Amino acid sequence: MILLEAGRRSERGFDAKMIFAAQLSDRGHAVVIDEETVPDKFERSQKYEVAPYLARIDGPRISTVLMIGAEDIDDATLARLRGLGLGPDVRVVAIGRFPDRQSEIGARSRLAYALGREPGTFNISDHYKGDLHVTALSPLAALEIPAAASIADVPEVFLFLPAEWLDEPQTLPILAAFDNVPGFRLNVVMPSAGKDVVKRSRYTGLNVFGYSELGPSILARRADVAVFYGDAVPGERMAALAVDLMASGKPVVDCTQNASFQTSGAPVLRGPEELAALQNFLEFTVLVNADSIGREARLSPWLEARRLSKLEAEFGLAPPARPDPVAPDARVLFMPTNGNGLGHAQRCALIADEFEKPERASFAAFPTCVPLIKGRGFPCLPLVQKSPDFPEDYANDIVNYLRLRRTLSPADHLVFDGGYVFESIFRTIHETGCRATWIRRGLWRPGQISEAQIERERIFNRIILPGEAFEELNADYSQGHRMRRVGPIVQPTPGTDPAGVRTRLARMLGVEFDSLVVTMLGGGVAADRSAQLQRVCGLLARRPGCLHLIVVWPNSKIAPGIYGWENTHVVRTHNSLALCTAADFVVSAVGYNSFHELMYHRIPSIFVPQVAPYMDDQERRARAASDRDLAVTVLAHELLGLERAVSGMFAGQGAEIRQRLEALELPETGNRAAAGLIEEELCP
Amino acid sequence: MAATPTIACIVEPRFPGGTSSAVARELAVLRDRFAVEVHGIGSRMFRDRPVAPVLERALDDLRLPLRMGAPQISADLVVVHNPSFLKFDEDLAPRIVARELVVVTHENMLRPGGLEAFDAAHCLRLIDRSSLALRKSLAPVSAYNRSTVADWLAAHPDFAGWGLLDGDWTNICDFDIEPPTERPADRRGRHSRPGFEKFPAAEVMDICFPAHAEENVILGGDSLLTGETSRPHWRIIPFRGIEIDSYFKMIDFMVYFTAATWRESFGRVLAEGVAAGKVVISDPDTASIFAGAVMPGRPEDVDGIVAGFVEAPSRYVDHVLSAQEALTAFSADAFLARQAPLFERLSRRAA
Repeated sequence: MILLEAGRRSERGFDAKMIFAAQLSDRGHAVVIDEETVPDKFERSQKYEVAPYLARIDGPRISTVLMIGAEDIDDATLARLRGLGLGPDVRVVAIGRFPDRQSEIGARSRLAYALGREPGTFNISDHYKGDLHVTALSPLAALEIPAAASIADVPEVFLFLPAEWLDEPQTLPILAAFDNVPGFRLNVVMPSAGKDVVKRSRYTGLNVFGYSELGPSILARRADVAVFYGDAVPGERMAALAVDLMASGKPVVDCTQNASFQTSGAPVLRGPEELAALQNFLEFTVLVNADSIGREARLSPWLEARRLSKLEAEFGLAPPARPDPVAPDARVLFMPTNGNGLGHAQRCALIADEFEKPERASFAAFPTCVPLIKGRGFPCLPLVQKSPDFPEDYANDIVNYLRLRRTLSPADHLVFDGGYVFESIFRTIHETGCRATWIRRGLWRPGQISEAQIERERIFNRIILPGEAFEELNADYSQGHRMRRVGPIVQPTPGTDPAGVRTRLARMLGVEFDSLVVTMLGGGVAADRSAQLQRVCGLLARRPGCLHLIVVWPNSKIAPGIYGWENTHVVRTHNSLALCTAADFVVSAVGYNSFHELMYHRIPSIFVPQVAPYMDDQERRARAASDRDLAVTVLAHELLGLERAVSGMFAGQGAEIRQRLEALELPETGNRAAAGLIEEELCP
Repeated sequence: MAATPTIACIVEPRFPGGTSSAVARELAVLRDRFAVEVHGIGSRMFRDRPVAPVLERALDDLRLPLRMGAPQISADLVVVHNPSFLKFDEDLAPRIVARELVVVTHENMLRPGGLEAFDAAHCLRLIDRSSLALRKSLAPVSAYNRSTVADWLAAHPDFAGWGLLDGDWTNICDFDIEPPTERPADRRGRHSRPGFEKFPAAEVMDICFPAHAEENVILGGDSLLTGETSRPHWRIIPFRGIEIDSYFKMIDFMVYFTAATWRESFGRVLAEGVAAGKVVISDPDTASIFAGAVMPGRPEDVDGIVAGFVEAPSRYVDHVLSAQEALTAFSADAFLARQAPLFERLSRRAA
């Protein structure tokens, strides 16, 4: 295990460690960064970026210590290293840009005193043929890329602009014009302050990344061409990105005022300082010759001198073992959020059931969903639930990011079902480069789906929109070639015989009954429905020969008082549909899954919509049915209305509704279509 | 009539440790016999520090001004103390004109293993460029220090113009002599400034200062020995936290080992320990500087050495007394005798 240290504890030092750690890790080395060196100012994006490497240091497991920025070593760093109790065979290398002999001697001596053994030193200034004109602590090494990457058919152009360029009134209109050129896809990279300005302007359609939003090695993987504007090399991160791209054989264009990249000897193209001239330069000079430009650059001695394989030899690192050439079978990883209830997980499971090769389906889900998914026969990677024990509310998401990152490979296909795209998903898709699909059911409340969320659409190859049964409920929140509408995703017929179910119930519960009512009002998380439950229990207790089943998810809460009612039994199960098809009528909330199950299986229902702000617009859905006399809608506070509805069902309304439902033509379900759309994206 | 030879001492007056103490002591001795001027040179090495108190006191007592910023320094003998102060500088400002130029190498030029301790070539080059002298010499402060200087010269043929002074330019040690205790116990200690180089590895500290000793007093280790590197059976006192005499009253044995990658060039603290009436134990290289006064040994030998003396108090007393006798090799008279050839040359030419 390599421990990566920086000479001086600082934000710059920490940032440089993250950059270098990513490079070493990409190469296959195991790298750790000491969690004690986390700076006070530690932003959210940095927490994600460092998560794969941050660790509590355990002396015996360290084989090598690499210290970058060794031209300036502080006592705190020395004291910490000394305190680790490193064994005598641990190799320590001080890497620095030493301006003179004394600087290198001083670094070696200081480490020698603190550690009691002589470190190696490596002077970057001596070894590199010209360093990029930027104060950098990391070595800015060139990754080993076995073969030059070829430019995509529609190249991803990454354009780096300083934030001040937005003050220039022409900048955004020029960028907007670029954005509409079909020959390439434009991505703008600027400091986060600049990104905010763009997002607030008319040009929100522009794809903008903050400088520190994603690590340079991740951006480098996505980029096909990079163009730099500004006075000089804009900082260490961007320098690292430029070197990564050059190493992969992708063109880097230097449009900086001082030709900072070019004058350092780097194999870059000198581009026009005028932003307006860039498009033509790209189309007629760069993109047509992109492959040969890149190939030439890869051979340059400037890059050769900083090849990571050369540095490995200098640092005494054994080249990492070749990764297993046999790639694991590509598979689909479903990741449902758990919102409230298990609706998202259920929907994903229904789609996975329709796969031609269901063995290629696997899941990553939150704890409450795991039994449901495993019960359907799918493997399930558990994710971590949000916890109030941490100051950050995304602490669990960082753990999930690490799990997803370890699990997914570039050939896999991630399918996310939920409203809010977690940062873990955003990062994992970027990092692994896997295919991604978003299953996004509609009927959001106003204000629930935000601009930022629609922004996140961009990372998905496809967005599948499961439809609503009633057309007026289908609304478009965004448009584009990536959207695919499918019919409602509904659980198919359970394959049980209603009469048989009733017989078994009578036997199991030891009761005789002629009417069966099922109530599904939720597990008490979205809202407390105990008043409504009590009312229904009370009504049905007075009705002889009635069996009332309260059906809840296995881990739901039920008020103890419910258990006392005559005729009422609580059933904890995932298989509510079998019971509903056997019922005379159902009292239910109006979530997507339940509603469509009840409609498609022609079951007369009394709908009691949930109205929690983070839930979908259940009332609209309910009314779409009740306005057509296909169901009865009762709002949560209408307890008398509930009584009337229940009595009405017994009095013949139930039978009438059933008849109308049976005559109803509903759109074809979308389970198979969704499965097909997902499976076809998977590499064979 | 014989004119008194002139000596100009050049020193960075902010050197915090042994250099300033040594210079302070020898100024008094030199001043009795020669016309002495003291020149201070500020360097980048000690940006925010004050003048070393021991030097300031000595200059006050001797009523010698500390001259700063003189454009030319000329004397029969110019002594430059500890050239390492130039390691971060680009030039040496004053012009130096002398018949004899002596650079006293207060710091070892090479560390154990032969690695450079600082860019001595750079420092000497700066001195070379700024000086005009009939003879230039490097003056080691001890036999061990001499070996590092000789090895360095052998590896740097460019500096063949520099000679090695015959006699060591030792520190003058004339501490008050305290008698040894007649009832030594296993009370151990060490004192030093809190630098990483002064302390050996954790395992060695554990061997030297074990739990079974009655006392383990570590003076000056506060910033280094914290958390995992500290031990409950050690009494750790900050540097200058107590009077040195009070510290010596707490111990009977001084156990002094440094980082494996560094050695004392002289080791004034060891002489202090001997003068204070303690048995002083150190590594063979360092002990050789005070042959007869300091016991050489390895960390593993310490327990045995201590036990041997505790069991035989008369041996303890005898050893300390003879060690204190051996210290006279570092008296002012011994210093003058050692440098007699140099001083005679000066007097002859001055006549």
